[in-house]
Amino acid sequence: MNARRDQDTLKELLTVLIGDDEPMIRDVLSEVLQAEPGLSVVAVAGDAEEAIVLAERHAPRVAILDVRMPGGGGAHAARVIRDRCPGTRVLAFSAYGDAGAVEEMRRAGVTEYLLKGLPNTDIVAAVRRVAAGR
Amino acid sequence: MSEQSPQEITQADHELLVQGVVDYAIFMLDPRGRVVSWNGGAQRIKGHRTEDIIGRHVSVFYPPEDVAAGKPARELEVAAAEGRLQEEGWRVRADGTRFWADVVVTALRDDTGRLRGFGNVTRDMSERRIAHSALGESEESFRLLVQSVVDYAIFMLDPEGRIASWNAGAQRIKGYRAQEIIGRHFSVFYPPEDVAAGKPARELEVAAAEGRLEDEGWRVRADGTRFWANVIITALFDDGGRLRGFGKVTRDMTERRTAERALDERSRLLTHLVHAQEMERRRIAWDVHDDTIQSMVAVGMRLQLLADRLEGPDASAVRRLNETVSAAIRRLRDLTFRLRPPGLDRDGLVEGLTSYLDQVVTGAGLAYELRHELDREPPSETAITIFRICQEALTNVRKHAQAKAVSVSLSSSGHGVLVRVADDGVGVGDPADVLATPDHFGLIEMRERAEMAGGWWSIRGRPGEGTTVEFWVPALAAGGEGGRG
Repeated sequence: MNARRDQDTLKELLTVLIGDDEPMIRDVLSEVLQAEPGLSVVAVAGDAEEAIVLAERHAPRVAILDVRMPGGGGAHAARVIRDRCPGTRVLAFSAYGDAGAVEEMRRAGVTEYLLKGLPNTDIVAAVRRVAAGR
Repeated sequence: MSEQSPQEITQADHELLVQGVVDYAIFMLDPRGRVVSWNGGAQRIKGHRTEDIIGRHVSVFYPPEDVAAGKPARELEVAAAEGRLQEEGWRVRADGTRFWADVVVTALRDDTGRLRGFGNVTRDMSERRIAHSALGESEESFRLLVQSVVDYAIFMLDPEGRIASWNAGAQRIKGYRAQEIIGRHFSVFYPPEDVAAGKPARELEVAAAEGRLEDEGWRVRADGTRFWANVIITALFDDGGRLRGFGKVTRDMTERRTAERALDERSRLLTHLVHAQEMERRRIAWDVHDDTIQSMVAVGMRLQLLADRLEGPDASAVRRLNETVSAAIRRLRDLTFRLRPPGLDRDGLVEGLTSYLDQVVTGAGLAYELRHELDREPPSETAITIFRICQEALTNVRKHAQAKAVSVSLSSSGHGVLVRVADDGVGVGDPADVLATPDHFGLIEMRERAEMAGGWWSIRGRPGEGTTVEFWVPALAAGGEGGRG
């Protein structure tokens, strides 16, 4: 019964994967999202390759990826995840806001690009927006 | 002899004089054109002795074709009708050889006006003609030579500095055709800042005073592009010492200058320093981005979480703290953009400039327009030079111009990149004055950067007309390899 109820709960939860090579960001972002009702951080990765592996394993609804990170960078991770996990939407979360970086992520299939430093509420809103496919 | 009247003496002397003249043939014809007198000069020049020629018709001196054409008779008719006739033409000597003659025929009439005959004075001009003709031919050859030289612009100015002649080299180097440029003042070849400073007029003054002037500097082609010119102006005076105009020889030295600059030890050192500075800036920018900004972002997010758990004044205090952190992040981000826009390395000059304009210029409330017509991405050293000069110019626009909009244009031009940064602000005023002030708004640094790269830089901005910074740098790969192809 318990396992069955967990499955039901998971279906309703908005699952999130975080990929960022900066531990402080990973931790706080995880905390921010976890504090939101209906959101669940199912995996946290420290580089692109790990993000790909964890995304395949967990098939999260949303993957939040840093642009500059080891293992091929956010664009590489986004491309592979989009390919292998069609149900996962990718949101970029970057300290770089220049047009080139934004364009690179868009080409990799990223639907939304967030600049680090935005209010937490904006980040949460973006995650829900991306998950809803708007 | 002492009883002779003055008149007789005069007539006798006159006869001696005429007889003794050997440089001129002086002889008389009767009204029908037959020779009635003959002097020493006539014998020397024409080769006929007196006894052989007296009584013969003047037509004997003319070439057969002139005789056939009735020329001898016609000349006498004209002289009779008009009193005098002067003519240059071929005449025939007794031995059949020809000589070039200057001939004056004078009608001689008595007191009643009746025609008594003709006086004929003939001078042999052959040698002078040969000399003259040779000069004429060499002048023509010289003119053709000058016309066809393509490596040098060779042309003449009148004393006021208007263009009076044009050659193939001038057309090739300066881009004007003769019909477009003849009559225009030569100051059109100078950059606007030189014209404003009175340089063209001053160069003519120096050339006129000292005979010659040599100068090296930027000159402007018909299409507005510039080239590095070696110019020699020579003042041309006539025999009376009056200034007739100026000869101007201009050579395009742009490529040589660029090559020399690239090899120049000082340039190498400066290029190295600029490169080292850029690397250091990039390292600092990355460090600030990847470490400092990330940490502060994490701190800010945590402060927001904390504020959500607190209530009342504590929550407000923490929110204010978060705002301070956010503001610091924005400033750090601006700093990293100024240090080294990430787009510049990743996506090239246009993207780098776009990032900078988006971040810094738009951030300052200015509208911008970026136009670019680049054949290819310039080498990174060139891109950095262009970016840095634009950055300095845009900083001035933000801080001093009081402008609403700024436009930046990049275009490939003459193996390099021509850049224009123009605003609609108050105008910088006289560039010479601004450059002379201690707080010269980084103008000298901009100029030095452009010149160090082997290019040129200029600024103009009359009050109320906005300010335009314009510069060109050659698109050369590091090490001075030519960027052409």
